[in-house]
Amino acid sequence: MKLFRAISFQTSLVARLSVLLAAVAVLPATPACAADGPKRGGTLTAIVQPEPVTLTPAFNTATPTQIVAGNIFDGLVYYDPALKPQPSLATEWKVAEDGLTISFNLRKGVKWHDGKPFSSADVKWSLENVWKTIHPRNKAIFENVATVDTPDDNTIILHLSKPSLPILSVLNAVGAPILPKHLYEGTDILNNAYNNKPVGTGAFVFKEWKKGEYILLERNPDYWEPAKPYLDKVIFRIIPDAAARAAAIEKGEVQYATFNPVSFREVERLAKLPSLKVDTRGYDWLSPVLYLDFNVENQYLKDVRVRQAIAFALDKEALGKVVWYGYGKPAVSPVPTALTAFHDASVPKYPFDLKKAEALLDEAGFRRGPDGVRFTLHHDFLPYGDDYKRTGEYLKQALKRVGIEINIRAQDTAAFIKRVYADRDFDISSSYNGAFPDPQIGVVREYWSGWLGSKTPWTNGSGYRNAEVDGLIQAAAVEGNPKKRTEDFNRFQQIVQRDLPTLPLLELRFFTLHSSALKDVVLQADQSYGSLKNAWFDQAPAQN
Amino acid sequence: MALVDIVAHIPPARIAQDNAFFRTARQPSAVVGVLLLGFVVAMALLANQIFPGDPLDFVGQPFQRPGEDPSFPLGTDMLGRDLASGIFHGARISLLIGAVATAMSLVIGVGVGAFAGYYGGKIDASLMRLTEFFQTIPPFLFALTIVAILQPSIATIVGAIGVTAWPSLARLVRAEFLKLRHGDMVQAEIALGASDMRIIFRHLLPNTLAPIIVSASVMVATAILTESSLAFLGLGDPNVVSWGGMVGAGREVLRSDWYIATLPGVAIVVAVLALNLLGDGLNDAVDPKQERR
Repeated sequence: MKLFRAISFQTSLVARLSVLLAAVAVLPATPACAADGPKRGGTLTAIVQPEPVTLTPAFNTATPTQIVAGNIFDGLVYYDPALKPQPSLATEWKVAEDGLTISFNLRKGVKWHDGKPFSSADVKWSLENVWKTIHPRNKAIFENVATVDTPDDNTIILHLSKPSLPILSVLNAVGAPILPKHLYEGTDILNNAYNNKPVGTGAFVFKEWKKGEYILLERNPDYWEPAKPYLDKVIFRIIPDAAARAAAIEKGEVQYATFNPVSFREVERLAKLPSLKVDTRGYDWLSPVLYLDFNVENQYLKDVRVRQAIAFALDKEALGKVVWYGYGKPAVSPVPTALTAFHDASVPKYPFDLKKAEALLDEAGFRRGPDGVRFTLHHDFLPYGDDYKRTGEYLKQALKRVGIEINIRAQDTAAFIKRVYADRDFDISSSYNGAFPDPQIGVVREYWSGWLGSKTPWTNGSGYRNAEVDGLIQAAAVEGNPKKRTEDFNRFQQIVQRDLPTLPLLELRFFTLHSSALKDVVLQADQSYGSLKNAWFDQAPAQN
Repeated sequence: MALVDIVAHIPPARIAQDNAFFRTARQPSAVVGVLLLGFVVAMALLANQIFPGDPLDFVGQPFQRPGEDPSFPLGTDMLGRDLASGIFHGARISLLIGAVATAMSLVIGVGVGAFAGYYGGKIDASLMRLTEFFQTIPPFLFALTIVAILQPSIATIVGAIGVTAWPSLARLVRAEFLKLRHGDMVQAEIALGASDMRIIFRHLLPNTLAPIIVSASVMVATAILTESSLAFLGLGDPNVVSWGGMVGAGREVLRSDWYIATLPGVAIVVAVLALNLLGDGLNDAVDPKQERR
């Protein structure tokens, strides 16, 4: 891989100068003209839902933790709308031809919120003690990093035993969080007091966490990026009730809310208000896919024809339009279309076709009984809200038409995880997974047999075991040639879409609601987990 | 005036009507209650005739307002399910749960209360400690916990309501038994050699029936409400249509499509009101202090 764009210290000086010049240029103009550029000031009230368990994304990758932490911590990079890494704490980086060495030049003059200087030692320590060990998504990705060199304070070189291309796709603030070594070294990381009063290098400084009410962040006056952030304060409020969230957003009490903060029907209504904007960007980095896991040990589902019949019997178009109110696009492959480099559109497809579904079921030997029923299965849905429950209700009614009776089971999240991933006492489950920019991070975990027996949630739920698929997954993990790697992933997609241990249903589209007065709020592919440092108020909201 | 004269002055018609049934029928609230309850029962009985087919089927366009399409008089919900069909079929589930759970509570509550009140002593003490144990946990939270652990289905919901609703009934029955236990009637029966079971079931129980019936009607109403609350919180049986489940599902679109949550809510109000009115009427009718107003 070639050298990426680099922003040196010099260019940031230029930027600083140009900001100064711009300020001089607009001085004589009327204040209205000033609206052309970002304005300083204002307090942004946002929503985080549900309340995070911790504010440090090192060992907990729950969505609420990442939403807040993205503002307090900086990553080595962030991801632009095309999912390309862009400089953040790393100003430039270089991957050797053989993929076995990756070096980063780090930004100079960056300070932690407590005033201590940030250096390559922090990155090295975090890699060795967090990314490689306790971060839930990164273990496999950083596994092949054998040694880490820090020739000086601003350079870090990773030496890998085998290539690991997905590394460059997880280097943002929450994907590979850099913790302050001076506060964590020699402590029990999981129980460090700073987990809940984090010290980062980010644009906002943690001030206060009032449990059950809000998390208050204040502007970092020493932020390395000149003039940013524009907002004085960011308050993340905790509002557990969806109707109350909708009311707060409508009234303008809250100006920014991510991850479907209100019901789909409500957003249709709110989208019509001139004071609000709906944005579905900013989620590409996680690329969520809704899917069904078939327990391949089930007496009916172990027959691939039954799994394919179910795929034919589901109208994914209707599922996206009616059940998910248009916030879902039929998925063709487990690798979503957003991952343009890896998505294979030529995989076996299962268009809505009841006749074909019935024929396959007959062929498999499961004929309709006198009551029209072929067999009965249980369905367990991810208990994350009504959208998932309605998905189960849709499944029940849709499969009834081809003679499969579905018994829906409701339970809480802990029971769901135990049933599907530990006890394996289920027939069909529905859930969603983030694919992330590289299939290695989010997709292959659903198919790799290495996860079986580990009871790790959101891994191989179906119980699928295919030596060829395992081989492809392992080959792609250490493949240094991007083209060869894409071929491995294409072959992988062809096989799993034929075998269908897992049926990808929809590429989900999450949405963000924000005030129309809030500008430049979604600029990154990982914005939903990213920093609000670019956001500014055209017209500051009335404070209460 | 001599006693004979007083008796002579009571009109014969009045004597004929002076039983619980006619006294109930004279209570306007009871009459309204019976009529409303009859309506709900009729809905349950006729659900299959008026709305054949699965009420959970997606039959029409989603979000049709009441009256928009004559084939769906009460409109459709977010998945295009017929609300009228859901309300009619939901009546079956609500009444079924109300009746079975109450029957269960009656068996436990009356049993515990009767034995505790009749035998007294250690039996009474231990049974009452058990009752108090159940009373210390709010019944709704208790039912919620049971359903959450056992996973929601009609059987677990009925069971959870049944085993949590009986303590107050047990105390009521015990109090009645204590009152009668040392009275002349029981002493006479013991003297005549009647067995304990015969005394409890043949003689004491019929004498405490009035307050039991009154509380039973309220218990049915409470059971319906509890099931609705459980379903509203997402702990209903997802395989059947229930009023609480419909309200819970419709709540998230309350601002834009109020009728989806409101119409089944009205059904709950009607059923619960009917049972409460009936309970009130029965209470007035069987309460001797209110006999001659």
